[in-house]
Amino acid sequence: MIELFATIMSSAFFVTVIRTTTPLLLATLGGLIADLSGALNVALEGQMLVGCLTAVIVSVYAPWYVAVLAGLAAGAVLGLVMAIFALRLKADIILVGFAINIMAAGGTVFALAMATGGDKGTSINLASKAIPPVDLSFLGVIPGIGPLLVSLLSGHSVLSWIAAFLVFAIWYFLYRMPWGLWLRGVGEYPAAPEAAGIPVNAVRAWSLVVSGALAGLGGAQLAMFNYVGFARDMTAGRGFIALGAVLLGARHPVGALLAALLFGAFEGLAVVMPGLFADAPAELIRMIPFVVTILALMLFSYRAQRALKLRGVKSA
Amino acid sequence: MSTTAILARQSRWSTFRKETLRAVTAIAVALLVTIIVVLLTSKAPLEALNTLLTAPASKPRTIGLWFDDVAKLTVTGLAFSLVFQARQFALGVQGQIYVGALASSYVALSPIGPTFAAIPLGIAAAMLAGAAWGFIPGLAKAKLGANEIVSSLMLNYIAIELCNFLVRVQLRERPGVLTSLKFPDAAVFPPLIPGTRIDLGLILALVATVLVWFALYRTSWGLKLRLVGHNARFAEYAGIKSSLIMVSAMTAAGALGGMLGAMFVQGQTYGKITVLFEGGLAFEGILVAIVARSRPLAVPVVAIFYGYLRQGAQLMNIRTDVPAEVIGVVTAIIILLVSSSFSMPGKKWLSAQFGRRAQPAGLSADGAAK
Repeated sequence: MIELFATIMSSAFFVTVIRTTTPLLLATLGGLIADLSGALNVALEGQMLVGCLTAVIVSVYAPWYVAVLAGLAAGAVLGLVMAIFALRLKADIILVGFAINIMAAGGTVFALAMATGGDKGTSINLASKAIPPVDLSFLGVIPGIGPLLVSLLSGHSVLSWIAAFLVFAIWYFLYRMPWGLWLRGVGEYPAAPEAAGIPVNAVRAWSLVVSGALAGLGGAQLAMFNYVGFARDMTAGRGFIALGAVLLGARHPVGALLAALLFGAFEGLAVVMPGLFADAPAELIRMIPFVVTILALMLFSYRAQRALKLRGVKSA
Repeated sequence: MSTTAILARQSRWSTFRKETLRAVTAIAVALLVTIIVVLLTSKAPLEALNTLLTAPASKPRTIGLWFDDVAKLTVTGLAFSLVFQARQFALGVQGQIYVGALASSYVALSPIGPTFAAIPLGIAAAMLAGAAWGFIPGLAKAKLGANEIVSSLMLNYIAIELCNFLVRVQLRERPGVLTSLKFPDAAVFPPLIPGTRIDLGLILALVATVLVWFALYRTSWGLKLRLVGHNARFAEYAGIKSSLIMVSAMTAAGALGGMLGAMFVQGQTYGKITVLFEGGLAFEGILVAIVARSRPLAVPVVAIFYGYLRQGAQLMNIRTDVPAEVIGVVTAIIILLVSSSFSMPGKKWLSAQFGRRAQPAGLSADGAAK
């Protein structure tokens, strides 16, 4: 038990948690934007997965930043597909999202087999690149706390820093810019912005595109930093956890950050625990984030419902 | 026959025609995409296509594989139809399959296993476990307002890990093997046609189809369920306890999912439990339910066609250089096309030529209010 505590308190664990949180946070922010615009994006999982594969394949032929952008673009394209089918062709958005997940699960394996010449499991034969860690070792010259700062802040992926910045940027966009107000209005009560002349469907379509792009970016981080290379179903439910994190984070960017950190911490724990306790069943540890999501979702929904009741609003 | 009855029949017939046309078009588009993909990727495209389109019906063995798939697709399609008709997007069939399979495995490997009670008790245990797994997100939705999509998906992963864990630690045949002992013969579904995988599961699927149809269209529970799915608020005003109906629909669908778990592990295909035995079949039920428009009697028909395509893809995977995963793309296209209100290109022009009233063109405005 003491070893576990020592591990959790160590800066290495902190770095692990940041690493595991980053893809989740990016996907959660994507889910947040779509959810606030009134379109539940259940395709986060598929968009992440396609982002992973695209990034890996592009990174074989191009520099790492091009690959990251390709992953982002792949997610955005899937977001656009969702928007076209859900908004223009009036399909149910949840079914559209699931169709994209199914397409991603099968399509990535298919594309992987084509790209590697028959290997349907991993991209181990492809010489893919990684996102270089950001080196902040110059902070070490600061007297006293320098070494601590280096061990905490140095060596993260660029995307971790971008994700942290995005939390602030999205908060600013949503609560300090007119477009953010539009977006929230469209999700809250579409008839009002419609009457005010705001193009409701266009706002929703853009939200879905941005949502997909963020999920794709999360996929790029997963396949080019957390793991280098692609493996089938490597997202392993992270997109769905992100969906839970949106609801858990009270549909607010800072809440999303905290929720993503919570799940990232549990994922990090699942990484380090088997090393510490040889007899701890890995399956049960992997189960923890999912159990936590359900419990947290129930707790949060209960609180939200009670808050509505206290305000005298009858829940639908 | 009264005028209303004739009108009702006419409208039913035209709906049926429209839905069939839509499904056929979607399948044609999907097939076209498959053909293009195969042509682009395969070294021997004609052989691959030939395998895809003819292999499942070629031998008794492959026909057996096909109908085994049909039975399973029917049950998962029915489970999704039930929740979709109540307009609940619970996606927990996968998890229900795993817990159901675990429950029936414990029955089959217990002292009951070699007795005649192994099959009925195994199915019953599986249905109970599945129902419990469907009940949790239902209750959380009804009592706490927790989003059923997220909670049911989380329960899927929990069930999969639970199965991995129990098979590795408790049910394994010997250390290091991720399968259980073979079930006793009495616990394995008897084959309907010897030497094939067509077993009791097919009968279970047909019985389930009739039961779900009866429950939905011939009982007051079914009427209430469809009302809740149509307009929950209206149903509430009509004095229907919509949350109770929602929970019961999700629990009933869970029982079906659990039964499917028993069909998997007690069927001729396995006769034992292994990790990850389900192979993503559960989610194919979404496609089946959507193409069948959640109508129980249409579910087996769709399952026959889709099962054929699935087996064709599997055989193509084995015999040629095209991976079976291409079917995922096909599935997605069919779901997208069938669930959206696409119309065939040139339809408006055609109807203008034939003097019928064209569809009103206010597509973008009214979707926002939804």
